Amino acid sequence: MAQLIGIKRWLLLAGAVVLGTILLVPEKAPAQEEVTSAIRRYKQYEVSTGYYEEYEARPQRQRPFIEIPGVRRGVFPYSPTSASVRVRTRLSDSHLGIKFYNRRRCEDCHVTETRDIHTTRANLTCRQCHGGEPIASLEHYYSPMNPIRRHAYVCAKCHEGASASYASYVVHEPSAGSSLARTSFPVLYYAYWFMLVLLVGTMAFFIPHSLLVGLRELFTKKRITNNADSDAH
Amino acid sequence: MPTATRIKRFSILDRVSHLFLMLTFLIQAATGFSRTFYATNWGKKLSYLFGGYENTLVVHKWVGALMIAGFLIHSIYLLTRIQWRSPGKSIFGPDSLVPNFQDIKHLGQRILWFFGLGSPPKLERWSYWEKFDYWAVYWGLPLLAITGLMAIYPLATSQILPGWSLNVAVLLHRAEAILAVAYIFIVHFFIGHLRPTSFPMNEAMFTGSMDLEEAIEEKPAWVQRLKDEGKLEIVQGNPPARWYRVLYFIFGYAVVIFGVYLLINGIIYSRYVALH
Repeated sequence: MAQLIGIKRWLLLAGAVVLGTILLVPEKAPAQEEVTSAIRRYKQYEVSTGYYEEYEARPQRQRPFIEIPGVRRGVFPYSPTSASVRVRTRLSDSHLGIKFYNRRRCEDCHVTETRDIHTTRANLTCRQCHGGEPIASLEHYYSPMNPIRRHAYVCAKCHEGASASYASYVVHEPSAGSSLARTSFPVLYYAYWFMLVLLVGTMAFFIPHSLLVGLRELFTKKRITNNADSDAH
Repeated sequence: MPTATRIKRFSILDRVSHLFLMLTFLIQAATGFSRTFYATNWGKKLSYLFGGYENTLVVHKWVGALMIAGFLIHSIYLLTRIQWRSPGKSIFGPDSLVPNFQDIKHLGQRILWFFGLGSPPKLERWSYWEKFDYWAVYWGLPLLAITGLMAIYPLATSQILPGWSLNVAVLLHRAEAILAVAYIFIVHFFIGHLRPTSFPMNEAMFTGSMDLEEAIEEKPAWVQRLKDEGKLEIVQGNPPARWYRVLYFIFGYAVVIFGVYLLINGIIYSRYVALH
């Protein structure tokens, strides 16, 4: 009898623990459940578009003159596995492991990215190009933002006929004069500094030049008119 | 001001070209600024002049097309001005706007003269700063035209060049526009209007002729050359009619005021927009 009471006590305790666990663990948010599964999301893509074939995922021919700033491709691209460990550019969810992620807004972290022409002039929101959760890394093999298919999956939504080359337009361009631009977009950086030096140089020469002409003529003019007056007398 | 002896300085074609450039440049500056500064109240107001943000771009594109046409016509005109029997002489001669060693010498002489260390250079028909004015437009216009066309036709551009060249094109378009606007609205306006010898306005670009005495003072070598060649009598022009003078004074000052207005507001509002 005493044994039975002991078992009952254990059962009650176990039940209380299970109940407590169920009550303590937060329930799943339905909206999140819909998008957080990467597998389900890519399954949807597969259903709608068929399986990814190699010809779909890789450009058919390499164009040597068309390259993308900040993206290294070609003879020695670095290993996709090691890269995914080091950087966030090859993850299926680029924001994986960020604390309080679903409480944050994009612009809390990506401040400068909200100041480009697409956002300020065309009033686009982040999601209109980057899609819903999870936002895959740019270099993730199945990401719509991957440069190998970005033109078709993202750009062509508005820019009909966009090509891979077209998609290499840098939407979130670095500040053209910054050291960041020097490494990530050198052509833009040097174009900026060339034009700035040209502007400052032209003005630094011609403004003093004009002022000196003005001053000199002001005084020379007076002398000439005085001479003319004295000649007339 | 109108005196009997005047000397011809600009042909009717020169003057029409300048008038065309004045109007198109001002419209491009205003439409371009209104779009660049659209995030500010001033930019919005400016765009209402041209019917709003979208219409402003339409105006900008069409006036740009006009400017390209003007540039091409002017280039063909330049080719007709070269005397093909002796191209070297006509290209590097004194009637040409091509810079030569004489200009560097004149610049040096003029800098000495600024500080009272010598006499002013004996200038020919075109002084070095006038040549600079001309070539600034002549290289700026194709740069703006090409980068502008790239921005109008991004898909076609990305067929020939990588797409990121559009970033560079837009940057260059903006930078060159700022350079041109700053140069014209500060330096060119100063030389044309505020400079003591031209104050209140250098009228040669509207009348086509200038006072002979003024020409002797300003461009002694040119007048001397015309005398030596016996062409001085041929190029005499008429003084402008009164109504015409009133007209171009009003027009010229309207352009100056609007240009300076754009420049000052551009400087004031530049901190509210990302210029690149």
